[in-house]
Amino acid sequence: MMFKKLVILVFSLSSLFATSVFAQEESTSARQIIDKFQTELIKVMKDGKKLGFAGRYEKLEPAVFNSHDLPKIARIVVGKEWEKLTEEQQKKLTDVFSKLSVASYAHNFKEFDGEAFAIDSEEETKMGGVVIHSHLTIPDDKPVKFDYMLKEKGASWRIINIIANGVSDLALKRSEYTAILQREGFDALIAKINEKIDGYAKQ
Amino acid sequence: MKNKTVTTLLCSVIFASNVAAQAKQDDPYENFNRAMFDFNGGIDGYVASPLANGYKFIAPQFLQTGVFNFFNNLKNFNIVLNDLLQAKFTQSASDLGRLTLNSTAGLGGLVDVAKHVGLEQNDEDFDQTLAVWGVPEGSYLVLPFVGPTTVRGVPASAFDTAANPATYAGIPARYISAPVQFMSVLNMRANAEGGLKFINEAAMDKYVFTRESFLQWRKSLENDGAISSSIEDDLLEDSPASNFKSRDYSKQFELASQSFSTVARRFDETTQKFEQANQKIKQLTNR
Repeated sequence: MMFKKLVILVFSLSSLFATSVFAQEESTSARQIIDKFQTELIKVMKDGKKLGFAGRYEKLEPAVFNSHDLPKIARIVVGKEWEKLTEEQQKKLTDVFSKLSVASYAHNFKEFDGEAFAIDSEEETKMGGVVIHSHLTIPDDKPVKFDYMLKEKGASWRIINIIANGVSDLALKRSEYTAILQREGFDALIAKINEKIDGYAKQ
Repeated sequence: MKNKTVTTLLCSVIFASNVAAQAKQDDPYENFNRAMFDFNGGIDGYVASPLANGYKFIAPQFLQTGVFNFFNNLKNFNIVLNDLLQAKFTQSASDLGRLTLNSTAGLGGLVDVAKHVGLEQNDEDFDQTLAVWGVPEGSYLVLPFVGPTTVRGVPASAFDTAANPATYAGIPARYISAPVQFMSVLNMRANAEGGLKFINEAAMDKYVFTRESFLQWRKSLENDGAISSSIEDDLLEDSPASNFKSRDYSKQFELASQSFSTVARRFDETTQKFEQANQKIKQLTNR
C-alpha cells in the first residue's frame, strides 16, 4: 500500500516536471510572435479581395488576439481615466477597443501588391520589454518601418505598441482617447469607436 | 538685402528659443490652432482638393512623376546643405551624388536615376538642423494655408525656402516659373491624398490625431528614425498622455552643448580623414 502511494507520488511529480519542461519548450519568443503575426497578415492580404471585410476580420481576429495584449492596451490608451471607469465600463471599453483593433487591420491590410515584411533586429528595453525592428517593403514605394514593442505574458510575449515610421500608435491613441473622455465623456468615446468600426466595415 | 534676411532669420531663431523656453505647455494656442485647422480644412475641401483631383485627372502619370521628381531633386540641394550643417559628412556626399546624378543623367531631375543605383534620399531640413543645434521645438502651431508646424519650424521653413533653388527657378522668366510652382503645389496636394484619407478614416479627433502624429513624426526625423529610449514611459499608466507634455528645457540646453561638442568632434575626425587621404595620395605619387 505504502509502495503504491510512493509510485503515485513519483508519477505525479514526474508528470509535473514533464509539464513544466513541456511548457518551457512551448514558450514563444517575441520574434516568433511577430513573425507569425506578419505571416498571417500577408496571407490574409493575398486572399483579401476574395475574403472581403468580414472574411478578413474572421481570419485576423485570432491572429490579433494571440499576438496583442488588447486588454492591457485598452487600459493604457485611456491613461489615468481608467481608474475612474466602472468595472462594466472597463469591460465595454476593452471589448469595443479589441473589435476596433481587428477591424482596423482588416481594413488597412486588404489587398496584396507584392508587399513583404522583414525583421531587422531586436533589442531589450530597460524595463524588461523587447522591441522588434522590422519593415514592410512595398513595390515602387518607400518601405515602412514597423517597430513592435512587446511585454512578456505568461510563457509568451504580447504586442503592447506599434511604432510605424516613428509614430507610436499607443501615444497617438492615448492623446485622442483621453481628450475625448475628458471633453465628451465615456459614452461619446464608445460611440466614436463604434462609428470607426462601422466605417471600416463599409469600405 | 542679404544682411537683412540673415538678421531677420537669426532674430526669428532667437525668438523661437525664447518663446519655446517660456512655454509651459506644447499647445497653449489650442483654440487658435483648432480654428486654423478648421479653416485649412475648409480651404482644402473647397479649393485645394478639387484642384488637386482635377490635376490628377488631367495630368498623365508620367507628368505627375516628372513634376514630383523635378522639385524633389531641387530639395536635395537643401538636404546636402543641412547634412553639412549637422556635420553628417558621409551622408552629404551620398546626397550630393544623388543631386548630381539626377540633375545630369536624370534629365535635370525629371527622372529619379539615383534611386535605381541605391542612393536613397535622406530627409533633412533646417528644422532638424536647429534641433541638432539644441533649439527647442517650442509650441505647436497651425498656420493658415501652411498647416501644422512649431515655433521653431517657422523660421526653419523660411530658411529652407530661401535656400531652395526652386524659389528662384525662372526669376527672369516669371511667366514660366509661376505655373510650374503652382503645379508643384498641386502635385504636393495630390500626393497627400492617401495620408489625408487615412486621417479621415482612423482619427476620432482629427486635430489631436494630426498634432500628435506631426510632432512624433518630426521627433522621429530629428532622431534619424531611431526610437527614443524614453518610449517605455509611454507604457506607464500614470504618466501624462503620450509624449505630449512639458519639456525639460534645462535638459535640452544641456543636450545642446553636448551636440555642439559632437559636431566639433566630427569636424576633427573628418579633418583627420582628409589628412590620411592626403598622405595616401602623396605615397602614390612618390611611387
